[in-house]
Amino acid sequence: MVGGYELTVSAREDVPRWLAYGTPVLTVLGALAVGAVALLALGVDPVAAYGTMFVGTLTSEFGVSQTLLRAVPLALTGLAVYLPLRAGLWNIGAEGQLYLGAIAGTWVGLNVDAPGVVLVPLVLFGGGVAGGLWGLVPGLLRARRGVNEIIVTLMLTFVGVELAGYLVRGPMRGGEGNFPVSAELPAAALLPELGTVHAGVLVALVATVAVRLLITRTTTGYEVVVTGSNADAADTAGVDVEWVYVFVLVAGGALAGLAGAIEIAGLQEKLRPNFSPGYGFTAIPIALLGRRGALRVGLASLFFAVLVVGGSSMELEFGVPAALVEVIQALVILFLITAEFFKRYRIGVERTRETAPVPAGEGS
Amino acid sequence: MAGFLAGLLDATVRAATPLLLASLGEIVSERGGVLNLGVEGMMLVGALCGFATTATTGSPWLGFAVGTAAGAAMATVHAVLCISFKADQVISGVMLTLLGGGLTTYFGQSWVSETIDGFDAVVVPVVGPALVDLPVVGPALFQNTLTDYLALALVPAASYVLFRTNIGLEITAVGDDPEAADTMGVPVFAVRYLCVIVGGASAGAAGAHLSLAFSKLWITGMTAGRGWIAIALVIFAQWRPWRVLVGASLFGGIEAFILRSQGLDLSVTGVPFAGPLDAAVGFATNPQVMAMYPYLATVVVLVVVTRNSLEERVGAPAALLDNYSRETE
Repeated sequence: MVGGYELTVSAREDVPRWLAYGTPVLTVLGALAVGAVALLALGVDPVAAYGTMFVGTLTSEFGVSQTLLRAVPLALTGLAVYLPLRAGLWNIGAEGQLYLGAIAGTWVGLNVDAPGVVLVPLVLFGGGVAGGLWGLVPGLLRARRGVNEIIVTLMLTFVGVELAGYLVRGPMRGGEGNFPVSAELPAAALLPELGTVHAGVLVALVATVAVRLLITRTTTGYEVVVTGSNADAADTAGVDVEWVYVFVLVAGGALAGLAGAIEIAGLQEKLRPNFSPGYGFTAIPIALLGRRGALRVGLASLFFAVLVVGGSSMELEFGVPAALVEVIQALVILFLITAEFFKRYRIGVERTRETAPVPAGEGS
Repeated sequence: MAGFLAGLLDATVRAATPLLLASLGEIVSERGGVLNLGVEGMMLVGALCGFATTATTGSPWLGFAVGTAAGAAMATVHAVLCISFKADQVISGVMLTLLGGGLTTYFGQSWVSETIDGFDAVVVPVVGPALVDLPVVGPALFQNTLTDYLALALVPAASYVLFRTNIGLEITAVGDDPEAADTMGVPVFAVRYLCVIVGGASAGAAGAHLSLAFSKLWITGMTAGRGWIAIALVIFAQWRPWRVLVGASLFGGIEAFILRSQGLDLSVTGVPFAGPLDAAVGFATNPQVMAMYPYLATVVVLVVVTRNSLEERVGAPAALLDNYSRETE
């Protein structure tokens, strides 16, 4: 080896304060900067566009209520990914669980005759149960047979989406004409309104706090976290790891199913195929952003909701495709996982010695 | 009925090609130990870049090359994040799919109404002119686009490289036990980079085939979940190229049947239980129900393969999803 310089990578012993607190801010700013380049490419002034996107959204009553409404499914599906993630499992099938919840919620709303006080909770309960059952399949397969939950949750997502498509064209088709849509839910099945938003906002808030309490204050939550940090050690310590796996995927599925039922009973009022703009997939970056705590999942869902709502007003005002928001969302996460590396490792440049080549096996 | 079958077979070949291209690449990536959930996004980027290049220059081959390169470029990001930065493979892949979807929707708008000549179906030389008129199988086998034949040719090529060459054995070693491979002197990081980039290039090629040969149009979100099916197909085929050919024909056949069976009368009469049988056939051939088959079949295969530690025997990469690091952490 000739003399020269070499990049060295070594694990950091402790993370500097500025790096720990600065990275989320820096990653968001970095993603927005790339988005600004994309805006310039289409000949739009980034400052004006971002002004509309953030300031416009957060200073209008319409913008704030739309943001809250968007944040509800994002927070619930975000928690659906977050909870299994704490146990070391990936639930990338929140989208399918959400569809199952929407199907069940619609069915209950259309077929149960009861006053609103009873019917609305039943609709939400039905959604949660259906989503939970959709999570039970990968949960049991993972716990009992060691089947990879990533693939099973992913596959069941598409089955769930197609199932909704089948039902609204067949057994559950209602409404007028030949459109693939269910009948409209009766008024008693719809979520009560709270000012400009619906009661689903409260449900999401309660669920977020409940998941936080579950993780931080209960034995089950402790077992989940222990399993997540080291499943073998947890098993040795007497934690029923199989049960934890089933629990997190069922509970996660139930949260996503609840999101589906709320989306129907709060906003859509009927089941349509492909009604979700991918909430369950956006939930994955949200869970990653908030993986240190359920409240952070809630905050991350609010941030993503602002992006989505702001993205549509930007589209209206500047004619810029709202898809820019998806780009920014993805970049935030890609930058974040890059930053994670620099948090964990120190990169240095070292002068390599001019003679003695490094013996094989000793390099690091 | 012969006409229906000929059309169905022809459509099957056309539907199978993008799955075949993307899955062969994903096999290489996964055998090297890296799961790439970004296939859908890489296909979209390949489709748009390929289409835009062909629409600008008029050359489908240049478009195909650019689409392939675009897929490889996106896969390089995945490789840097997962192999060098040791990021979680699931999150990186999902994000690249979201990124590809967003980018192509954003930049694809101006290409939506453009048209191109693209790749035309050609008759195989020498034997083709005589055999293309064969009933039922003729056009499906002997009259396709060059990219269809390329995908087909890649099956034995991938099988040969993976199972009969040094680099193929190194890939398997790196995907099964990177630590042991490293000890044996296999350049683990370089091999993994190669695998991921080859996988992305194939996904990009699959996308370019879609926009240049399959539809000859750019449509937002035109991959329509084929990238996810390709990932399912890898498991269905248990990480083997020849089985991917079988699986792609099956899954492609389902897609073709969904498109072509509308209005087809499948009812039976005169047999016992004709009524319930008709209902069952109607349910089983419902387009939405049929669309679930690939995903359900994949879950079943995964469950069977996982049971009894069959994984080793079928060749599942043991170190899939494990990012390799030389340090002791």
